[in-house]
Amino acid sequence: MQEQSLALFAEAGIVVEEAELASRKLLVQTADRGYSFVFVKPSDVPTYVEYGVADVGICGRDVLLEARADVHQPLDLGLGRCRIAVAGRREVVGEDYNLLATVRVATKYPRIATAYFHEKGVPIEVIPLSGSVELAPLLGLSDRIVDLVETGRTLQENGLEVIDVITESTAQLIVNRASFQLNRKRIGQLIGALRAVLVREEKSEERKEA
Amino acid sequence: MSSLTKIPSGVQYFFDEEVRRRRYIERCAMEVFTGWSYDEILLPMFDYHALFSRGMGAERAERTYRFVDRDGALLALRPELTLLVARTVATRFPHKPRPLRLCYSGEVFRYDEPTERAAREFHQVGLELIGEPSLAADLEVLLIAAELLTTLDLTEFRITFSHADFFHGLARQLGLEPQERALLREMIDRRNVEALGGFLARHAPQLSEARREEFCQLTQLAGGAETLARAAALPLDGQSAAAVSHLAAIEQTLGALGLDSHFRIDLGEVANLDYYTGLTFRIYVPEWGVEIGSGGRYDQLIASFGRGEPAVGFSFALDALSGALAHHHRVSPWEEEETPLRIPGGDHPAALARAFGQARELRQQKKRVTIGADETR
Repeated sequence: MQEQSLALFAEAGIVVEEAELASRKLLVQTADRGYSFVFVKPSDVPTYVEYGVADVGICGRDVLLEARADVHQPLDLGLGRCRIAVAGRREVVGEDYNLLATVRVATKYPRIATAYFHEKGVPIEVIPLSGSVELAPLLGLSDRIVDLVETGRTLQENGLEVIDVITESTAQLIVNRASFQLNRKRIGQLIGALRAVLVREEKSEERKEA
Repeated sequence: MSSLTKIPSGVQYFFDEEVRRRRYIERCAMEVFTGWSYDEILLPMFDYHALFSRGMGAERAERTYRFVDRDGALLALRPELTLLVARTVATRFPHKPRPLRLCYSGEVFRYDEPTERAAREFHQVGLELIGEPSLAADLEVLLIAAELLTTLDLTEFRITFSHADFFHGLARQLGLEPQERALLREMIDRRNVEALGGFLARHAPQLSEARREEFCQLTQLAGGAETLARAAALPLDGQSAAAVSHLAAIEQTLGALGLDSHFRIDLGEVANLDYYTGLTFRIYVPEWGVEIGSGGRYDQLIASFGRGEPAVGFSFALDALSGALAHHHRVSPWEEEETPLRIPGGDHPAALARAFGQARELRQQKKRVTIGADETR
């Protein structure tokens, strides 16, 4: 997502030079020093923006839902499209959750998972994991998982199947509330420039399809 | 980890410059508030949990620190101050002539989720103007907030304001169900034109595309008089239209006072609509990454304690004000120069008397004295 996002910014005229990117610096600037980029772990993006250390950030909707960050989300960048889904072993796909006293759910998204099952009135035990969530049902650690599904291949190869899609996720542009008010002109311009690129790309996609 | 080094989550110890800065801010605030004839009210640290849950809703009252009184009643440390003011006014001062002008400064206690840390407030400084429904009352509190920020030398402050009825009127006009209303609020709050446009296309097909687009644009960015002129041109229902003209009157007055560069009308402000009934505002400064204060009109709150009456007020987060001033590299008026004073001759009564006599003179001149022992000893 980082490469795609940088390409989008470059299209909008905000270019970070190759040499800067090739370095392992976590804080780089555009040549004209108009913009600084900070590279952080996806799940940390909402934190940097909420505290106003970064005015603007890019992260998946999955991360935002989980972080419940208090930020504006003015633009859907459409990148990194995937689904947040409930999955389980092929054999249990049709099974009613209510046959289980509590559903053990392994996930990187404890909040999203809890909210989803609570809405259905199903008691769950969340098993928080930070990676390779697909393993959990195979080894009997959990009954279900809630995870990001892109193509579904990893699930398939591990004998799992999607049971329900909770929501779709794409990369979102997020903006700190104070910055949105205090730097409204520059942030407005940035949103406008990115939106113009997205509209242009959408049109060229349509032409290709036609 | 030893039990001596462990500190409960959310607990803070302040010392040195931080304390001097916080006390300075409180002094400035109280001077400004007193100048506008507000009386300080000192409120209890805890009260019945039922009181808080009645005023702020059961869900938010869950985040209080609760404990049990000797008779078994559930108590809670105060999670905010406005509620306690509202209750005092409704139950203790029903016959005092209105309007009442009350101000406060004090700590509040609540569990905050880790993700909400950016917006945490542990010490609120604010005021309430009660029993006065007028436009003048709305302006008064806005102007006091502005004066405090100017006094603190946070001169680049920005206050965005809106009116709760703009949204309520709109939701009514579109005939939205409660769930759709919540969704519309979320869409406006995100400031995402495309998502909001999509929502309106589904739920307000009666509006022309141009009108829908105009509405999306209006809730995007805060602006001045032109924002209101554009809003007034939309086919609004009575409630929304009245809100727009109320905002216009505020905007014109602020303009005539030469303050318009600090104030922006933000029709996309839709948070806290369950609480506020009229004017709403948020306060920002470039020195701090999140809002440092907020306020508005809440004509329903006091009614939940028996007697309904209009009220408007604001509160600043002292933690945020102090953080902003710490980032501010101009003068630090809370720092006073020290006048060191030695005591030559050690413990000899005559020497001591001479030194402390000198110290007393300096103190009469309001100098800050530091008594030091004689180094030559």
